[in-house]
Amino acid sequence: MAEIRLDKLRKEFGKLVAVRDVTLTFPTGTVNCLLGPSGCGKTTLMRMIAGLETPTAGEVYFAGERVTHLSPSQRNIGMVFQYPVVYRGMSVYRNIEIPLIEIKDLSPQERKRRIESVLETLDLAKFAKQDVSDLDNGTRQKVSVARAVARQPKIILFDEPVTNVDIGSKTQLKRALKQLVKQHNQTIIYVTHDQTEAMTLADTILLMLDGEIVQTGAPRELYDSPRDRFAGFFFGNPGMNFIPCPVEQHNGSSTLGKPLFAQPMRVTGLTGQPEVTIGIRPERVRVLTETAANTVPATILREAMVAGGQRLLTLKVGATTLKAKVPPTDTFRAGNTVHVECPVEHVVLFGSDERRLEAALQA
Amino acid sequence: MSLETLSPSSGHQETLPELRTNSFRRALARISHLTDDARIFPTLILLPVMFFFIVWNVIPTLWMIGLSFYRYSLMLGNEQFLGTNNYMSIMTDSQVWEALSRTFIWVGAGVAIQTILGLLLGFLFWGSRDMPGRRLALTLLFTPMVLTPVAVGVFFRLLYEPTFGIVNYLTTTVLGVQVNPLNDRAIAFGAVLLVDTWMWTPFMILITLAALGSVPKAELEAAEIDRIPWLKRLRYIIWPNAKFILMLGILLRTIDSFKTLDLVYLMTNGGPGNTTDLIALLLRRKAFEAFDLGWSSAMAILLLLTAIAFTSIYLYILNLNRRRQEAIV
Repeated sequence: MAEIRLDKLRKEFGKLVAVRDVTLTFPTGTVNCLLGPSGCGKTTLMRMIAGLETPTAGEVYFAGERVTHLSPSQRNIGMVFQYPVVYRGMSVYRNIEIPLIEIKDLSPQERKRRIESVLETLDLAKFAKQDVSDLDNGTRQKVSVARAVARQPKIILFDEPVTNVDIGSKTQLKRALKQLVKQHNQTIIYVTHDQTEAMTLADTILLMLDGEIVQTGAPRELYDSPRDRFAGFFFGNPGMNFIPCPVEQHNGSSTLGKPLFAQPMRVTGLTGQPEVTIGIRPERVRVLTETAANTVPATILREAMVAGGQRLLTLKVGATTLKAKVPPTDTFRAGNTVHVECPVEHVVLFGSDERRLEAALQA
Repeated sequence: MSLETLSPSSGHQETLPELRTNSFRRALARISHLTDDARIFPTLILLPVMFFFIVWNVIPTLWMIGLSFYRYSLMLGNEQFLGTNNYMSIMTDSQVWEALSRTFIWVGAGVAIQTILGLLLGFLFWGSRDMPGRRLALTLLFTPMVLTPVAVGVFFRLLYEPTFGIVNYLTTTVLGVQVNPLNDRAIAFGAVLLVDTWMWTPFMILITLAALGSVPKAELEAAEIDRIPWLKRLRYIIWPNAKFILMLGILLRTIDSFKTLDLVYLMTNGGPGNTTDLIALLLRRKAFEAFDLGWSSAMAILLLLTAIAFTSIYLYILNLNRRRQEAIV
């Protein structure tokens, strides 16, 4: 019972509007990732939910109850900060214990059990007696996660918790987070600018830009049907290809042809646009050595190795360039001529206002 | 072209202005050569300071140490080596011990009151970031600290003045009690201490604000989120971060208070009787009224040693903490 509802929440810092009248609901027991580039207002939004920042306008409700006027401690939440915040000069165990002592109806046995269980999950048991000042940032961040989680609040906020830790701790932390967040039916808000992190952790991703929520949806949904060019570009590594394409008339119907398609492809649902932008993800572009149905010839300009051993090709198709992600083979070398196919089911069309069009391509 | 390669002979062929430029460049090159040297440059910068330090500090101190073993009167000028006799006479002088114990009470009470008030007001200002007029209030609050003790002394003598001072007027009209604070043996010490407190509490407020400013904001926010009660926040987060600056402030105030002269000299000059006679006043009298410079030098040396002792205790505590932290890291 810890649904978070925001009602026209707004924050201004002088002339700068950090958060623009955001209205949304985080359902109980879900993991929500606030994803967006740096400075888009995601941390400010989270801090307002925590009560660390006073909104300029709008309200915050927890489980239907207005909490906008309450202090952070009255809101009874957990929070993990971007930089590991630990209580220095005491042991890891004590760090986790201190907030627990304040829970009045928690027996010492239960307290001990909770601490030990969270130490176990985060692989901290071996550090339990050590002073936190002694530990590296990754381990310290684990301690602050443990501290937030052990209290078992109904709402936990994570503000880019793995940004400032080394790679090894990062993976470990993410794994532990996945394990922890599902245990107590807590509502989680997780701020990040890393889409991979958002993809792996979130039930729902909220894409943010310039203080506004641009798109909300399951990771898959955001990946497959971005609502606008920003969503398509920000989500994906590298982002979507955007290729302008004039709309032509053939036998009384609108079609799209060069440069991506060999024959004109019929498009339905257009409302008279003279030109559209074709969006296709690099991993959806098919690169073949032989010509096939509806392929266009292309030249490989560059090739690079990317994560997972895959190859990222930069292709010259007609006058434009196109990025394509292909499995690692030796056949694609810079300078080679190849044949490119853009499967119509993976093509998304955008209008001149950068919004996605309710239009579809047909083979 | 490297400036060092310009030989003097090459300058002969050149026209006069260029010659001048070249010699200027050469001089500049020589200086910049010196300033580039990592060993010479710091010394160069330190030289003026070292000069003044030696002339105004080291030599007088050494002179004073020497003087403390002689009988030397400014009036008579008859130097006579006494060995440690000056020190002996100080140790057995009941006036010195009285003044010293009075000074310790002055320092203890003054610094304690100023620290407590400073802490309270400091916390108040710290906690009221959004209070309107906060800046103005702070500025006004810091005014006493920047006034000269002489001005403050004169100012408060007028306030305490029994015939037209406002203090007596208020106590007679409100309480029906006539007071003459600076001439009353019972309250003179307190009245002067009150002025000292009025002057120096702002300093402790400043120190408290600086100390509290050194507490990481994130840790305070985390404690707030973790619902840790105020007293525990004070103990676990604020105190460990703020203690060094706070203790430094207390140390500075202690040393300064130990040397108090001007304020008391102007207000009571040690009276009535000797109820406000602090050690610095006694020293001043011996040196500049009795002109007994040997004795005064010995006394000054002893006071210097006391101040050094205070500092050492503080540094010892500070290092103890650092050593403990290093042992952990």
